[in-house]
Amino acid sequence: MTELLAQTFVNGINIGALYGLITVGLSLTLGVMKILNIAHGEFLMVGGYFAFWLFKLFNIDPFLSLPLVAIALFLLGGLFYRILLAGVARFHEEVKLKNSLLIGFGLFLIFPQIAITLWTADERAITPAYSGGSLPILNVRVAYVPFAGVIVAIVVILFLHLLLKKTYFGKAVRGTSENWKAAKLMGINVDRTYLITFALGVAMAGLAGVLVGLTQSITPDVGMSWTLKALIVVVLAGIGSVGGAFFAGLILGVVESVGAIFMGPYTVALGLLIFLLILMFRPQGLFGKS
Amino acid sequence: MILEVKDLSKTFGGLVAIRDLNFVVNKGQIVGLIGPNGSGKTTLFNLISGVLKPDKGFIKFNGMPITGLKPHGVCQKGIARTFQLTKPFANMTILQNVMVAKMYGSESIRNMKQAREECEKILEFIGLAGKSSATAATFGLVDRKRLEIARALATKPRLLLLDEVMSGLTAAEMEEAISLVKSIGDFGITLIIVEHVMKAILEISDKLIVLNYGEKIAEGTPQEVVHNKKVIEAYLGE
Amino acid sequence: MDRWKQILITGGILALLALVPLTTTRTDLLTWFTFTLLYITLSQSWNIIGGYTGQQNLGHAAFFGLGALSSRYLWLSGIPLPIAFLLGALVAAFFALVIGFPAFRLRGIYFVIGTLVLAEILRIVVDTLLPRALVLPSKLLSTYSLVPRYYISLGIAFLTVAAVYAISRSRLGLGLMSIRENEDAAETLGVNTQIHKLVAFLISTFFAGLAGGIYAYYSSAVQPGYLFQPVWTFDAVIIVFVGGVGTILGPIIGSVFFVLLQRLLSLYLPGGMHLAVFGVLFIIVVLFLPGGLIELMSKLRNRILGGSRLN
Repeated sequence: MTELLAQTFVNGINIGALYGLITVGLSLTLGVMKILNIAHGEFLMVGGYFAFWLFKLFNIDPFLSLPLVAIALFLLGGLFYRILLAGVARFHEEVKLKNSLLIGFGLFLIFPQIAITLWTADERAITPAYSGGSLPILNVRVAYVPFAGVIVAIVVILFLHLLLKKTYFGKAVRGTSENWKAAKLMGINVDRTYLITFALGVAMAGLAGVLVGLTQSITPDVGMSWTLKALIVVVLAGIGSVGGAFFAGLILGVVESVGAIFMGPYTVALGLLIFLLILMFRPQGLFGKS
Repeated sequence: MILEVKDLSKTFGGLVAIRDLNFVVNKGQIVGLIGPNGSGKTTLFNLISGVLKPDKGFIKFNGMPITGLKPHGVCQKGIARTFQLTKPFANMTILQNVMVAKMYGSESIRNMKQAREECEKILEFIGLAGKSSATAATFGLVDRKRLEIARALATKPRLLLLDEVMSGLTAAEMEEAISLVKSIGDFGITLIIVEHVMKAILEISDKLIVLNYGEKIAEGTPQEVVHNKKVIEAYLGE
Repeated sequence: MDRWKQILITGGILALLALVPLTTTRTDLLTWFTFTLLYITLSQSWNIIGGYTGQQNLGHAAFFGLGALSSRYLWLSGIPLPIAFLLGALVAAFFALVIGFPAFRLRGIYFVIGTLVLAEILRIVVDTLLPRALVLPSKLLSTYSLVPRYYISLGIAFLTVAAVYAISRSRLGLGLMSIRENEDAAETLGVNTQIHKLVAFLISTFFAGLAGGIYAYYSSAVQPGYLFQPVWTFDAVIIVFVGGVGTILGPIIGSVFFVLLQRLLSLYLPGGMHLAVFGVLFIIVVLFLPGGLIELMSKLRNRILGGSRLN
């Protein structure tokens, strides 16, 4: 039994790291710009398919394609911000939230259809030669690829953390998220800060997509379930808590994994129910402020 | 006495917004509520109208306790209020805006035709007669304030709380507003008015209540209050 | 447009629609009409809570599914069809009553996410308990006819539109809209916002349940989990927004356009392309045309009639 638990724990960490990564991008956008990007998962899908193409067409190893995906999706995110959201971002909070939600919803309708046209509805997985391999540590099988995924997630999140804490950009982000009007008066280019923040969030979704393509598979409708997961983790962690998002993701991953042993098909439903209860009684999340 | 406030207190986190407040308002009076920024005037309005619940003390209206009633309940009892930052129903017509108040307020009229007639009378009284089918979103500041008052009046209040109606008005508009407030008083409606424009409030009020840091520091006729040392200090600082 | 004209036009349209099955036996046409009427019902039902009251309930599919499942079960157990529909809708409304109080404690974005999650929970539970498709018994399969399905759709669609019409001209309608516009101000003016939101929710979910009943009656075979898929919510939402949120004609025009586009596009492009088109329209509506197609139409009408029309 302990072996089983240990194995599921490791599996939980593997998937939890991905949950954390997908959520951090969403949390960043929500915390700084007060915009909920409901199409966040769609960018994960784009990243996954892009890495798949690089692998299938040009034989680029998926781990090597990570920086390419990051740059491509950063640019894509910037583009979308410019075209769709720049005007909305400066509105009064309620209107901004509603409009950005609706725009995200529109994208959520469009992206999967484009994906079906380009890649068909079949599942696509990125399977390099070393895919199935694993290393036995103690009595647990630690699979190479998911483990590397965890490392990637940690590296990316650390990078973001350093970016926010140590750079001028990070200061600009923190200032803008607290009070954009004051930040503007102090000379911070609010528009550019928002642009980069949004693009960063999208880039991180894309990176998560590559990892999903490696460890699971990419389908045109994979977007929504990942957006939902990210929403849950964001609420669990508390909005705006970037570090908290990662840990909350890990917690969700482990709880789901271990819970599945006992709850079987109802695991996800139970998780959602717990989420609802937290939403109602502790909306600031586990790590957020009251 | 139409309104009795006793030992009223309200704290937000560590901040004391209202502290041990006691006062009484008599029927037909026009009471001015003044004090420096942050002294708790709007909080008091929120407590009376049911938007907030006090931590201590009670409020009685016509002898009946209304502490803890939800805002719609307070309205049903006969207390109406306006908001400092107007809250129009932007995508509805002016007439519809007032109809909501008429059909849901105290002594509400359920018949649409009758309600419409009453509302058109109110719009005429307030000076918005020709614009009844305009959408509230198209209104400028002055008309929005008029609408705010019209809606409050439509709920047939016995007590009306006006929150800074004069802010942002020109001198001429202010004269109109003052005479409007006076005529509302002439209908027998008791008024409590929060105002920063001293000239206006000194002119209209029967008595003034002065708040500072959530406490009442003075109460009396405008003449008495204006010469009160504590009041002068509160406004000018030490 | 004055009262008599309105009644005549509505009567005329209804009469024409009633004659459709008598003039054609083409099943594809009848199916097309039936689905349009289904979507009119579904979208109008969401319009009540989302369009008029301003509460973006993303769990609408749950009530569609509950109505569908219950009415189908009751009908196949021998209950006469109209009663089965009614009871199915009441089941949906009852569920709304149960979750209404806790659901409306959530505000803004939390309400949106919360309702979505709630519907997902229900979908997973139903999918796990009833994974296999429900098929009509062979006796009913052999006598299956689209015609009664069409008339039921027509009747229910008419009822739903009539309900929305009645609400929009009533005191209730004013109260609901005031909540949408500014909940705090509405409360201060005497509107019991809690109760009103709940009432709108009950009415909305009742008609969603009826819509579900139509679909369940129409389907010769259906997988229970599919009835609870969020696509039913999203279809309703996009139809309402693109058509004209908070209007009576909006969802009707939106539904006609939606099903038409779906049928046309599916001839040349992969299955769901109409969704992508609607996605683009949706974004256009949000950014430039908040009143939807209705607003577009009235702008065009003003443009065409030019100076002779006063604002």
